[in-house]
Amino acid sequence: MKNSTMLEMKGVRKSFGTVVALDDVNLQLKSSEIHGLLGGNGAGKTTLMNVLYGLYKPDRGEIYLREKKVEIQSPKDAISCGIGMVHQHFLQIDSYTVTENIVLGTRLKNRPTLDLDQEEQRIQDLSERFGLEVSPSSLVEELPMGIRQRVEILKAVYRGVDVLILDEPTTNLTPQEVESLFQSLRVMVEEGMSVVFITHKLREVLSVSDRISVLRDGRNVITLPRDEASEEVLVRAMVGEGLDVGKSLVFSDTGLDQEALQVGQEPVLRVEGLQVVNEEGNPLVKDCSFQIREKEIFGVAGVAGNGQQELAESLMGIRPIAGGQASIDDTSIVGLETRELLEMGVTYIPEDRLQDGFLPTANVAQNLILGYQRQEPYHNRGFLDWNAIFRAARELITEYNIMTPSAKEPAANLSGGNIQRVMLARAFSHPAKLLVAHNPTRGLDIGSMEFVYSKLLERKEQGMATLLLSEDLDELMLLCDRIATIYRGQFAGVLERGEFDKYQIGRMMSGVETHE
Amino acid sequence: MDQFQMQFVSFARLVMLAMVPYVLASQGTMLGGRTGLFSVSQEGIMLVGASLGFLGAYLYGSLVYGMLLAMFVGGLFGLALAYFTTTLKMNQFVIGLSLFFIGLGLSTLFPKIVIGVTLQPPLIPTLPDVPIPGLSQIPILGDIFFNQNVLVYFAILLSIFLYYLLYKTSIGLELRSVGENPKAADSLGVNVSVMRYVTAIVGGMLMGLAGAYLPMVYTGTFTQGMVQGRGWIAIALTFFGGWSPHLIFLGALFFAGVEILALRVQVAGVGVPYQFLLTLPYIATILVMIFASRRVRAPAFLGQNYDREKRTLS
Repeated sequence: MKNSTMLEMKGVRKSFGTVVALDDVNLQLKSSEIHGLLGGNGAGKTTLMNVLYGLYKPDRGEIYLREKKVEIQSPKDAISCGIGMVHQHFLQIDSYTVTENIVLGTRLKNRPTLDLDQEEQRIQDLSERFGLEVSPSSLVEELPMGIRQRVEILKAVYRGVDVLILDEPTTNLTPQEVESLFQSLRVMVEEGMSVVFITHKLREVLSVSDRISVLRDGRNVITLPRDEASEEVLVRAMVGEGLDVGKSLVFSDTGLDQEALQVGQEPVLRVEGLQVVNEEGNPLVKDCSFQIREKEIFGVAGVAGNGQQELAESLMGIRPIAGGQASIDDTSIVGLETRELLEMGVTYIPEDRLQDGFLPTANVAQNLILGYQRQEPYHNRGFLDWNAIFRAARELITEYNIMTPSAKEPAANLSGGNIQRVMLARAFSHPAKLLVAHNPTRGLDIGSMEFVYSKLLERKEQGMATLLLSEDLDELMLLCDRIATIYRGQFAGVLERGEFDKYQIGRMMSGVETHE
Repeated sequence: MDQFQMQFVSFARLVMLAMVPYVLASQGTMLGGRTGLFSVSQEGIMLVGASLGFLGAYLYGSLVYGMLLAMFVGGLFGLALAYFTTTLKMNQFVIGLSLFFIGLGLSTLFPKIVIGVTLQPPLIPTLPDVPIPGLSQIPILGDIFFNQNVLVYFAILLSIFLYYLLYKTSIGLELRSVGENPKAADSLGVNVSVMRYVTAIVGGMLMGLAGAYLPMVYTGTFTQGMVQGRGWIAIALTFFGGWSPHLIFLGALFFAGVEILALRVQVAGVGVPYQFLLTLPYIATILVMIFASRRVRAPAFLGQNYDREKRTLS
């Protein structure tokens, strides 16, 4: 059975309106292999897999399963062909238990009674067999991300799939959880399954895959066995010739040069015993204390949803500070409004750029000055000075290389990477003392990541203090001077550059260990 | 039986009687809501149901025909809601409101076409009580629960059945999942559109029947606007009942109790203007919503349309 072809997709094309997301893409999957599917944001990885799973209807293209042609019109067809998919955003019913989520949609024998004891036992057995530990009777909404992902995988395994597609499965996992996931995948392929592992992280794909395919701009670039693949080859395939890998920050092994590592003495932001509570009064951020100095990038690591957003929003005046002290240059910022903070020289890159960061129907120029519209030079005796606004916008578009037909284009027409450039251009268009940046590179391709990193470092060298909240540990370890790890709203420890250790941070992220 | 007991039994009997339209309309609302369809056309569908239920019974000489006609037309309204929102992906609230106004208009149009304008509207017989042999002999309880018209029994059995269906069968598990996260349901092979069409149509049928109940039990004829906001209250009631059949049943009892109480107080001649007493059910609605809204959980995807190929930005 080994090395026989399990599945083949041929000549797949899919367009959304006028945008061609996939063009003549082929993919061949062997049995008992982990196949890495690599590509930057917008390369078409997820679209291709959604076609395979019957979520998108392709314009053209054929799918062969064990050399027999199959028609997949809906996820139902995909499941009956033995194809399972774990989506990047988990598709779970929050208010259901693990078992209910797993059995949903299957033809249970005891359909009229919904007696799930037997199913629970089966799920328990499967979870032990594949090392995917869960408690079948807990409510899904109460589980951490790592466990919720196991539920997704069990959902597929319970249905007895031969092909398992994992879309960016490591995004919300600690390094330990990633390793245990990889071990589970190994068990699966040894039992004869095939796994497609979609990712944009090179190191992960190299460590776990048997073969690797790279997509770029909706087209195939290469497919290689792992022995023939190297980081350099894959990067070239992912980003084309535009990026100088040797000089790249994203792929630098040595880290930053000396100049970039200089940290100033004067503290800019001082936070003492910060508390943030939700509507019911339960603490979301508990007793956080830290200082950020000039020319310092202070990182906050953690699994999503451990208080990072609340921490950032409380410092930006979006959420009230419930207790403790926070001050910038010895001026207290407790109780200040966002507007006053912006005027003080604090600037913000929100996590969810689509929700909190920009106005989709407003044009690029309006988005570029959003928040600064009351300040010079955009504001002139109670009126907006549109000439000044467009002049500034055109300069920013050139400086930040924003791909847009004009400054009057509705911002929603821009791609994710370009929207993020708008966010950056806006954040950096005014002199700032402090930048609060939350996942500034999420979903960006390598070229754009590179750009964000170089801008952050450039500003750092000019003296800006940065609070960088990120779920990407590699990013934090590359850029930060110190990294705090946040777990359930509390700092589990702060590490200095030089003592950064991925696994130690991972343990702190999951609450197993605290430092100091 | 002493005086107080008789008073109590007659009050309780009336509450059971008045509960029926609330139960039917709210369970219908709940069904659609559980697959994410939020209807606001209850009042309109109930009016059409009342109008056609009366006309069907009048023309064909049988209340059963009236009920069937009301359910058929209610089902058509449900079908329209499902088609416009699920297939054409139009805004649920706007479509629901349009259907309400269509129902409002049609409810007075039909009697004018069929009967014309008369000084003395024709009457239909009211729904008879059907005592259940044996059970109706139980003192007190027999009179309250087992000596009622068929739709009272139906409303009770329907609530029990829906509870069982939603929470104890795998069809119910699938149905609820559509209203919580249709994308997840879809990815597991649950047919979101079919679920929505079925619940919308069945829900509409129940609302139509709820309307037909009014001329058949209360008045014997159709009068303009005779639903008197019960359709709107049904929406509040469904929220109050946390979109679950058993709590909705209890909520319907509560609202029916308030309604009957208002009538009783009015008859007893307490020195309060009757217009004020008539507002009691609506005041109760607001009070109940204030307390209930924080505690209950509506289906997560309520009121939204699902489009499989919809792409988010980025």
